[in-house]
Amino acid sequence: MSGLKAAYFNELYKLSKKKKIMVATILSLASVAVAGGIVAVVDNFMGIKVTGSATFPILVLSVLSYTLIPLFTAFICIDMFSGEISDQTIKLTLTRPVSRYKIYMSKVMAAASFILGNLLFVLICSLIVSYITDSISVSIFKIILAYAASFLPLLVFSLFVILISNLVRSSTLSFLISVITYLVFITIGTIFTDYQSFLFTSMFDWYTLFLGSYINFQKIFRVLLILAGCGTMLFVTGYYLFDKKDI
Amino acid sequence: MDKAIVIENLTKRYKNKRGIADINIEVNKGEIFGFLGPNGAGKTTAMKIMTGLMSPDTGDVRINGYSVINDYEHAMRNVGCIIESVTPFPYLTAYENLKLCGRFYNIMDSRIDDCLENTGILKYKNEKIKNFSLGMKQRLGIAMAMLSNPSILILDEPLNGLDVEGMVEMRNLILRMSAETGTTFFISSHLIHDVELTCNKIGILYNGELISVNTTENILQNYSSLENFYLSEVDINVRS
Repeated sequence: MSGLKAAYFNELYKLSKKKKIMVATILSLASVAVAGGIVAVVDNFMGIKVTGSATFPILVLSVLSYTLIPLFTAFICIDMFSGEISDQTIKLTLTRPVSRYKIYMSKVMAAASFILGNLLFVLICSLIVSYITDSISVSIFKIILAYAASFLPLLVFSLFVILISNLVRSSTLSFLISVITYLVFITIGTIFTDYQSFLFTSMFDWYTLFLGSYINFQKIFRVLLILAGCGTMLFVTGYYLFDKKDI
Repeated sequence: MDKAIVIENLTKRYKNKRGIADINIEVNKGEIFGFLGPNGAGKTTAMKIMTGLMSPDTGDVRINGYSVINDYEHAMRNVGCIIESVTPFPYLTAYENLKLCGRFYNIMDSRIDDCLENTGILKYKNEKIKNFSLGMKQRLGIAMAMLSNPSILILDEPLNGLDVEGMVEMRNLILRMSAETGTTFFISSHLIHDVELTCNKIGILYNGELISVNTTENILQNYSSLENFYLSEVDINVRS
């Protein structure tokens, strides 16, 4: 366990030193601020109610969970695998007394931590904007639950990007393949709705299942199982490729 | 004598048919083993397999009795290495890079300073690696390799990029560590004169095959220099 802990802390430390984290933070903050400004202007000066104060964080989540958060998650995952493999810096970690499984696991944990941190940051920012623009009257618990729920599909997406970045050595190519596949999945999910349940990208908004007055536990359980299945397959395949990789 | 490194029937073939074939080497504890061979002979391939960066087609490597393939964590517990080139994280400082390595062994900051001091880069401790020269990176690589006080050091071209002064310092450091702490070294180098002055056992790899293993003492009894021995062994194999 000490090897896993050391590898995980190292991954977090490396993440904290990357400029991408700063850019992700600034862009997340800017997105929330701009969205808050637009909502306030439209509400106060145009007389159109875009969203209630309680649902502003959900509005932000619905936009960022499809755009900024997956984008930076992809950047981070590709940096941790393709990036380190192509510039050979991964040798520094691989030649330590720690198994490849633990190294792989620590990187996945670091990606998960990044997603959680990003979601938490967006949640806090959007709640602050909600408080500034108006007072919150509806359950914050449901908002927190929605943010927590959106972690799972984003984690599955990160495992997908990790799989791609273990298939391809070039960071640029990994990024291109990930983005194109993501867009194709989203398009297929939109056009061919029958196939939606096979695509994890169509579950990015599954948090809406928790928001209504009636909660369909059966559907939640089904989606949860699909996400867990996708996640497990992607995790195992990604690990297999990482373990067999000659550096 | 206790074996520090045992390489058994190690084979790895690339798609271009190059690689290594059926290599067997035993390195005793405390020995300084020099691994010689022309470019493309397979030295780095063998060393990559020894450190788990590559998996062999067949064969195994045992370090301190532990298989690198089946028990990697135990095998690498007392091993430091430089393989092919030193590639620290460029956006981190020398200290931060060593701190990352040290976290696997619970290394104190004072030990990091010791290693930086021994390799002559203590004054660059807080400089980012992207500003380092090749020689400075090489010194940092050596500092990283010796950070955990390993009993075995596997060094692939450790003198790459070093100036003459740096080469002499490294040679003395290797000899001092071997004498004082009984550290075992497995070194590949093109600098045959340095290998002659440093190593007490020599292995020659040619076209992926180990063509000779002997002690430096024995070699120098029959040849005027290691260079002559090396050229003669290679010549014999080119003809055959």
